[in-house]
Amino acid sequence: MKQGKSNVVQAAILAVLGLAAVLSLALPQLLRGRQEPQLLSLSVMLRDTDSSGWTVARQGMEQAADELGAELRFLTLTTANDSAQQASLLLREIEDGAAALVAVPADPAALSAALDPWLVVCPTVTLESSMEGAAGVVSPDNALLGERLAEALLEDWDSGEVLLLDTAGRCAGVADRLAAAESVLEGAGVPVCRREALPEEDPKWVLAFEPPATQGAAERKEAEGRTFALYGVGASTGVTAQLERGNIAAIAAWSEYAAGYLAVRQAVSAVRGTEGTLGPLPFSVLREEDIYGPENQKLLFPIMSSSSR
Amino acid sequence: MRVFRRLAAQWGERYRKMSIQMVLSLSFTAVAAVGMLLMSVSMIWRFSSANEQLVAENSRRVLAQANLNLDSYLRRMMRISDTVYYRSIKNMDLAEDDLTGDLSLLYEENRDDLVSLAVFDGEGALVSAVPLTALKQDAETVQSDWFQDASQSMENLHFSTPHVQNIFDDPDYPYRWVVSLSRHVQLTRDGVTQGGVLLVDMSFNGIEQVCRDVTLGSGGYLYLIDGGGELIYHPRQQLIYAGLLEENNRAAAEYRDGSHRETFQGQSRQVTVKTVGYTGWKLVGVAPAESASPQLPLFGLTLLLFSIFLMAFLNFLISARISDPILRLERSIRELDKGLAGVRIEEGGCYEVQRLSHAVASMVSTMRHLMDDIVRQEGQKRRGELEVLQSQINPHFLYNTLDSVIWMTESGQKQEAIQMVTSLARLFRISLSKGKSVIPLSDELEHARHYMTIQQMRFKNKFTAEITAKPGTEGLYTLKLIIQPLLENAIYHGCASAEDDGVIRVTAYREGEDLLIDVEDNGLGMRPELAASLLEEDRPEVGTKGSGIGVRNVHQRVGLTFGEGYGLTIFSEPDEGTLVRIRLPALSRKEADRRWQGEEL
Repeated sequence: MKQGKSNVVQAAILAVLGLAAVLSLALPQLLRGRQEPQLLSLSVMLRDTDSSGWTVARQGMEQAADELGAELRFLTLTTANDSAQQASLLLREIEDGAAALVAVPADPAALSAALDPWLVVCPTVTLESSMEGAAGVVSPDNALLGERLAEALLEDWDSGEVLLLDTAGRCAGVADRLAAAESVLEGAGVPVCRREALPEEDPKWVLAFEPPATQGAAERKEAEGRTFALYGVGASTGVTAQLERGNIAAIAAWSEYAAGYLAVRQAVSAVRGTEGTLGPLPFSVLREEDIYGPENQKLLFPIMSSSSR
Repeated sequence: MRVFRRLAAQWGERYRKMSIQMVLSLSFTAVAAVGMLLMSVSMIWRFSSANEQLVAENSRRVLAQANLNLDSYLRRMMRISDTVYYRSIKNMDLAEDDLTGDLSLLYEENRDDLVSLAVFDGEGALVSAVPLTALKQDAETVQSDWFQDASQSMENLHFSTPHVQNIFDDPDYPYRWVVSLSRHVQLTRDGVTQGGVLLVDMSFNGIEQVCRDVTLGSGGYLYLIDGGGELIYHPRQQLIYAGLLEENNRAAAEYRDGSHRETFQGQSRQVTVKTVGYTGWKLVGVAPAESASPQLPLFGLTLLLFSIFLMAFLNFLISARISDPILRLERSIRELDKGLAGVRIEEGGCYEVQRLSHAVASMVSTMRHLMDDIVRQEGQKRRGELEVLQSQINPHFLYNTLDSVIWMTESGQKQEAIQMVTSLARLFRISLSKGKSVIPLSDELEHARHYMTIQQMRFKNKFTAEITAKPGTEGLYTLKLIIQPLLENAIYHGCASAEDDGVIRVTAYREGEDLLIDVEDNGLGMRPELAASLLEEDRPEVGTKGSGIGVRNVHQRVGLTFGEGYGLTIFSEPDEGTLVRIRLPALSRKEADRRWQGEEL
């Protein structure tokens, strides 16, 4: 009886030891499998017709994709801010097996409605504007940005009406900037008016709330020899050059590299179920004299790795 | 301490309950496991230490190579600067000669590494520059760090940290990142020598290319800082600039050349530092401490577990081999203990166990012989006791009978005396029964009849006797001389003193497997307590009439012969009479013969 019990105990000890040895052999494989997640396919959808204005953000996205094991597909629209086309393209991407989406929504509400059933299975991170059902938004605090930009204008303002370039369309993020700036200016007793484009007659003060609008207004100002004071948004080389040439009085700038990086990181995390909450991106309001400050250089002129050019 | 004692006691208790194989295998395995654990820890520690040194050495070697490449690159830039200065500037009078041609030539030769070459006078005014020839309107050359450094420390060449070139007017606004190499130069204009600054703007890509492809094992990387810890190159530089990543570059600036261990953001890292000659820059190689051998602890654990498994398996086999003979011996002894006959003691195993088994087998053999002797001696002793008891009856009866014969002879009753003597002779013949103690029931009853004949004559037929054997008792055997003492008691204590005529009945009958013989009288009887006490062994033998010697004698003989459950039972009431019942096994002739042979042994 005792002998039988001893044999059972010994067999149990051997089984446990053998199992532990086999498990420790298999563990590296299991860990490796866990450490090497599958390559994720991410689609990036802009609201512009080309991605030249998103070069720096794209650098950040590619850095994140490289680090986190994702591959990116960049998509642009044939017509800028075409919400319907954006939705159909994104749905096609989802059907083609995109693991997650990064989008700059032309119309967040419409896009959310179009993607609603799919947002659960295909996490979507937005840039610039927040969207209902999205896994996160990467943008500065748009309202605060609008306020700061308006305050920068107020530092220079002496008289005259301020033209607010309303190029947002249905883009909520840009609209928020505009509304906040308008509120600050009206609160300060400054007369404001909204226009979708620069009028022929020269305004004295112009506020633009998105990079293409800012760069476009600056270029028209330079080309047409206009004299209005332009305050805008953006950190692209074109916008910075216009700031340096004096065509823009001040810009609100943030790290587009960081925006792109964070957007992809959040999307990948959402797919893997490890996403955190995103805070608003820090931004600075810069004037010409600030461009070459050591920290502003890092913000405005990202180091482009020669390997990625 | 108390807990320790309690644990020790528990272990002691378990140890006592364990089989020898379990104790051997577990203790061997435990000792082997501890030994292997220590050895594994020692080996892993030594291997890790050696691996760490290897990684450090590898990092130093890689850094040395990177340093060589960077130094080569920087020396090339310095040579360009030297060339511009010593071959062009020094040999030119700027009032007469144009420096641009020489600068262009050098620029074209090194355009992959250079962004611009420029010479400024002491006031910061541009003397000559390629490929761009005009300064920005608001270019602040004199306030620039590179200008200040060159002006303040004239003997040296100065390398700046990376910055965006911002002094030349470029319609494309390319915003190139450069590292500036500046030095103080002596410019000659109209024979007058004045100070100036030679600026060589190196493309940041050149430095990046030197550092970019350097890898330090899995997860390792290299970065470059200036003497103050400012980043010059980092593989994730833009993430750091964007505030999404941090690097321990300020602390690294304080490290001396060599390998260091640091913990940054909770991660233990091995940092190797190499100062780049002349510039004071530092190449910093970072290798996560865990990356040196990420699988090593797991591999060590696998080896350890497998070794323990193998050792445990071998230990179990060996301990089973050692303990099996002992266990078999123990099993044999247990069987012996149960009383099983013919148990064979196996003599196997190693020498000591063989010796032990042999000793046990020898002891068992001796014990068996001793037990046989004891059984034989016990038998002899019992027979001796029986003979002693039987011998107690004969003189007693003989005395009484002879007394009667004497009495009859004296009174002239010759015929009765003859009959009595005849009965006595018959009685003795049956008593002898060739020495057998078990005789046919018929003989025993015959014996009783003769006895009663004698007694009736003695007591002048004061009582009558009825001796009956009921059907079923034919051929049965009984212990001899067991009825006569009871008859004697019935006569003397039952009927002799009674006023009425006594009746004594002897009835033999069968009850199942038992033979019962009732001896009943209608005499004086006695109290039931007294009747019960007659058979008690510790009753004092006073040797007087009524002491029950005869009855107890019969009871003891029956008990000794047939065992517990057999013997006498007395039922009596005062003035009612007494019934003494003898219970015996119903012995056939065959059983009686076997018993007789057993007694003979």
